[in-house]
Order: sequence, then structure tokens, then C-alpha cells
Amino acid sequence: MPTIEMVTKVWIAPGCIVCDACETTAPSVFEVQHDNETCIIRPAALDMEFTKPLTKDIIQSAEECPVNVIKFDLTPVEVSEAEAAAFASKPSAPSAPAASHGEPTGATAKGSPAKAATPAKPKVMDPAIQALLAATTSRGGHAVLQQGLPEGMKHLPKLSPDQLPPDGRQQKVLEKTKAEATEPTRRDLMLGIGWAATAVAFGAVPLAAFNRFMAPNVLEQEDPKVRCGSIAKYRAMAPGDVNEDFKPVKPSGFWIIREEDRICAVSIICTHLGCIPSWLPNDRKFKCPCHGSGFKPDGRNFEGPAPRPLERFKVYLDGDEVIVDRSRKFLAMGPTDTAVWNDPDASIPA
Amino acid sequence: MPMNPMRSMLATSEAIAAEHGPLDALKETINHLCAPYYFVPLTTIILMVGLLTYRRWTKPRMALTLLFAFTVFYVGSMLDHAFFLIIKKPDNVPITIMIFSTLFCIWLAFRQAAINDERMTRGLPLIESGADDKVLVWPDLVFTELICLILCTAVLIVWAILLKAPLEPPANPTNIPNPSKAPWYFLGLQELLVYFDPWIAGVLLPGLIIVGLIALPYIDKNPRGNGYYTFSQRPMVITTFMFGFGIMWIVLIVLGTFLRGPNWNLFGPYETWDPHRPAALLNINVAEVFWVVLPEKTGLWKPGVPTQASFGLPVYLIREAPGLFILGGYFFVLPVLLAKSVCKKIYAQIGLIRYAIFWLLMSWMMFVPIKMVLRWLFNLKYFVAITEWFFNI
Repeated sequence: MPTIEMVTKVWIAPGCIVCDACETTAPSVFEVQHDNETCIIRPAALDMEFTKPLTKDIIQSAEECPVNVIKFDLTPVEVSEAEAAAFASKPSAPSAPAASHGEPTGATAKGSPAKAATPAKPKVMDPAIQALLAATTSRGGHAVLQQGLPEGMKHLPKLSPDQLPPDGRQQKVLEKTKAEATEPTRRDLMLGIGWAATAVAFGAVPLAAFNRFMAPNVLEQEDPKVRCGSIAKYRAMAPGDVNEDFKPVKPSGFWIIREEDRICAVSIICTHLGCIPSWLPNDRKFKCPCHGSGFKPDGRNFEGPAPRPLERFKVYLDGDEVIVDRSRKFLAMGPTDTAVWNDPDASIPA
Repeated sequence: MPMNPMRSMLATSEAIAAEHGPLDALKETINHLCAPYYFVPLTTIILMVGLLTYRRWTKPRMALTLLFAFTVFYVGSMLDHAFFLIIKKPDNVPITIMIFSTLFCIWLAFRQAAINDERMTRGLPLIESGADDKVLVWPDLVFTELICLILCTAVLIVWAILLKAPLEPPANPTNIPNPSKAPWYFLGLQELLVYFDPWIAGVLLPGLIIVGLIALPYIDKNPRGNGYYTFSQRPMVITTFMFGFGIMWIVLIVLGTFLRGPNWNLFGPYETWDPHRPAALLNINVAEVFWVVLPEKTGLWKPGVPTQASFGLPVYLIREAPGLFILGGYFFVLPVLLAKSVCKKIYAQIGLIRYAIFWLLMSWMMFVPIKMVLRWLFNLKYFVAITEWFFNI
């Protein structure tokens, strides 16, 4: 059995000048990418079964390369007599179907106008190679790769970049990662500060604002106790009358009402949706302008959607002076369910 | 000083109205018909008649006549002082635009549906079938959009200059606008707040509207009507939509604009907004009807709202049991009964889950008008009033 030295691995060292020479000679192995300013080994040519029959082309390309960046491994391979003869006679004839030249693909054609001069190519191409080329140069390539990858190449897409033969683009990537791994420069520091400031501006400030927005305003409230003057004034009111003097008191005003036997402070907030009802002295009722809830002079709800009577505040006497304490409320649950109003803190006897 | 033409027109009209009794009688009639228990059913009837006769009134001549009649009515109404006061508020200018643009859009859709349905009965191709709906982005679409943009900007600028923005002084609890109205597009929701608890009218119902609109294509997978106008192929679906949008949204906005006056009382469109007009609305809950009114009328059981907890249940659950039974029947039993009778076909078509979602949306949509009518007719306040849980329905 004769032995022939064949190319089992081909790669490109750094320093490619993007001259198209190699692609002209061996278009199925090299792809010159003018856009990336580099030359790469086509994925199909990463397999030694692909490169073996192209040994002569690859060696020729390496010799033609003006900057000598094409490197290859030569390994002795045992072949049959006939194959050896065929190999010796034809300069670059394919002995196996897998060794044919690839059809120029879209990306290649764009990258190398010189390829129009390539020698005539056989029309029929190995379907496996076709699939692989389609996979690498067309959209949705992964699907094609998974379906149509020929036996013996299936491991290739799974290899990490380190395990693949190096080429110009790979080298660039390596250089870049190396540069990033070096000591931080002043620029890095400045960039870091800039990003941190941006993060603070876009993250922490709205967060703080949100926190402020969600936090209750308890501390900013007014004093819940309001001094309302002498009791005599309220004792002089007729039963069913309403004193509106403290309606504008912030944050929540109240009416002082005179019932038959007691004086109470009634919140001005409607129990339906928080509007402020108006006291209609002629109709003798409170009437909400938002949704029409009506309340009797003692605050019991009787018309419209309000579910509960108006709330009452704690009220007590400090000597002669009436004090309304809005920190304690008396909530009646219905117009007939007003037992809480009988609490001694809820009213002053008239 | 030259007299404002609008003012002089108004003065003339008032003089006419004072002299001419029939106009007053007409106004009285319209005021009377605008009581909500007439207004909402009447608009619903008009809608239904419109849907039944859509092939007739959408004909251009007929539609133009109707539009002209409505415009005459609307502009003529402006001669009334009370109506004019509502219309001229800068807040309410969009309402006028909304009324006319809604009418136009409804006409446009039903006109094309009428043509298509006519063609389908005759076996002709649809109007959409020959149309190539593709246009060139440049220049056709870009120019169209540019013109629209310029026109909109111009209209907005003119509008902003002519009518001052209705800005008011800072809120003051002693001087509250009466009535206090929401922005015009929310007046329908504000109207719902009159009948429901805030969490239902303000959270649940708007949420259901949005979720329901999102869910529609998953509930209704019928491909008919996709990409072309038709009414005869989808009568029920379109009728439901027209009721939900036309009556429960647009008509409620109109009601909120023209009929809600001071103290949120109901006024006719030509009625002076008198904040001191007495209006007695003694509301009553289902619990009171069941425990007090019914036994007093029939004498079947002893009148009196329960005040004692029993059967290990809190008192409010016993008190509200009648309302809970009614609501449970409406929301849970009625759909089952319907699935076995009237809606048998729909149920078989869409299956259990989609039927359940469909009835959840449908029952809430129908619950709104039911509750409104009950309020107007019987002053019914809540079916269930459990204030302790904020659960008032």
C-alpha cells in the first residue's frame, strides 16, 4: 500500500492581508471576508476527510500566499494503488465525492470578485456538503446543521473555539479577550464611574422617589386635635343643626352637629368614594355632588350609593372648650347599626 | 358694544319659546322622556330597531336625512338656555364631537355591512374581495399620515386658542363644584358608581371590560366576519357589542353629561339646574325588602331585620341571606340552567371553560342595566350589603 502525505488540518496564522489569492486557488477551503478584513477556513474544511483530497490545492495556496500565513499539517496516509495514481496524475482532482469544490455561495461571491476565474466545477455536489454549506451561509442554519450534517462532522459544531483549528478571525477574538483581561486602565475607571452614576440616576433616584411615594404621610399630618371654642356656642344650636366652621380644616374637616341630647363631630368625607358632601339646610340633609349620596343631619346614609353613615370623631371637653380628636373614629356599619355612637367619647352631652 | 350673535340668537329663541306654547310642551315631553327609566330603554329600543332595519337607514339619502334631522334637533336644542349652558362648557365640547363621530362610525360600518350582506344574498363577491389593501409607504402612506398630523395639530391649536382650558382654582372643601363630574370619557364609569361600591364600579367592572375585550378572540373563534363587514352572519355578536359599547358606554356618557345636575340629581336636558330642587331617594336594600316589607305586606313571617347571630353564622350573613341567594342564583345557577336549555348549542360549541368565561363577562355586563333599572324603579340600593367586608353589591 503506498503512502501519501496529505493535509489533515489547515489554518491561517495572524497577518492575513485579504488578497483573495488563496480563495482563487482553493475556494472550497478558504473564504476571504473583506468586510471583516480576514480570511477564514470554511467550516467544511475543518474536517480532515475534506482537506485530504485537496492537499495539492492547499499546498499551492500556502506557497502563493504573499505573507505566508497559511499553515497546514501533513500526515502520511495509506491509500490504494488506484487512488495513488489518480492523486499523482491530476493536480486537484477529487477522488472522493466529498472533495469537490463547493458552489460559490452568496457570502463568498460578495467577498471575492476574483472567484469568477475559478476552474470549472463539477455540477453534482455531495448532498452532505451542500447541507453544511447551506447551514453555514443561510438563515436558519442550525436547523439544517442538525438535520443534514454528514457522519464524522457531527462533533464539529459542538467543539469549543479553542479546539477548532485557529484562523484569522479566531486570532482576533483571542487578542481582544486578552486585551480585556489585562490591568484596568484609567479609561476603565472613568467608564466604571460613568456607568455607576448612570445606574444611580436611573435606578436609585426613582427607587427613592417610589419609596417616598409609597411611604405614608403620617409625620406630615396636622395635629389631630382641633380646639373648637366654647361649648356654649354649640349648646345654643337647635337640635338637628349643623355647624360648618371646621369644614375647611386640614387634612380632614368635620361638622359639629347638635342632636337631641348630645353634640358630635361628623367627618366631611363621604363613605362612598371620599368626596365632600354639601350641607343643604333647606332639605336638611348632606348631599354628595359626586354620586348623589344623601345623609340625614345626624350622618345616617339614606339615599344614593353610600354604604355607611358619615364617620364620627372623638370629641371631649377641656374645661369649657370643645376638642375634636381626629385620631379616633367611630364607624357605624349601617344606618340602623349605630351603637358605636353611644360611646362616651363620641359625643358631649348637651 | 356689538351684541354677541349667539346671545342675540338665544334672546330671540327665548322670546319665541315664551310666546309659543307648543315648544314648551315639546321640551316638557323630552324632559319627561329623559328620565333614565325611559331614556336608557328608549335608546336601547332605538338601537335594536336600527339593527333590525340596518339595510334601510344606512342608504346614503336616508342616513343623510336622519343626520340632518338629528343636527337640527341638536342645534335647535342649543336655543334652550339650560341645554346651551351644558353644551358651551369647554369640558363638554368633546361630547358633541363624540356623539357625531360615533354616529358616523356606526353608519360607516353598517353601511358596508349592508352592502356586503346584499351582495352575499345575490351571490356577488364582497366589496373587500377585489380591494388591494396594500399602499406604498412612500409616498402614499407617509403623505397621508403627514396631512392627518398637520390637520390634527391645526385643529387642536385652533381649539386651544378659541376655548380656554377649563382649569380651576386649587381644591377647596368649602367650595366644591356641584355637580363634580369626571372627565367626559369617564362619565359612564362615574354613572356606574351611583349604583355600585367603588371597588366594583371603579376596579372590577373596568377590569372586566379590559380583560373581556382581550379574551374575546379566545372565546369567539368563529372566523366569519374576519376581514370584511357583515351583520347578517354575526347578528348576536354585533348586537351584544353594540349594546355594551353603545348603550353601556356612550349612552351613559351622554346621560352623565346632559342629565346629571347639582347634587348628582337627574334633570331633563332643558331643565334648569336648581341645586335646591328636592329629590327624595329613599333607598332600600334587599335585606329590608325581605325582612320588613314583604312580611308586612303578606304577613307570612314576623317582620324585623335579624339582629342575633345564629347557626354559627355572623349576623350580617343571616341578614343578607336573601340577597346572597339571589346573587348566587344569578351568577352560578342561571348559567347552568341556560347551558342546559337556551344556550345548549353555544355550550356544545365552545365547551365548559370558554362558556364559563363567556357567562362571567356576560352576566356582569347584564347585571349593570338590571341594577340600574331596579334602582330607578324601586330605589333598590344593594342586593347584599355587608359593610364589614366592603362587600356591597
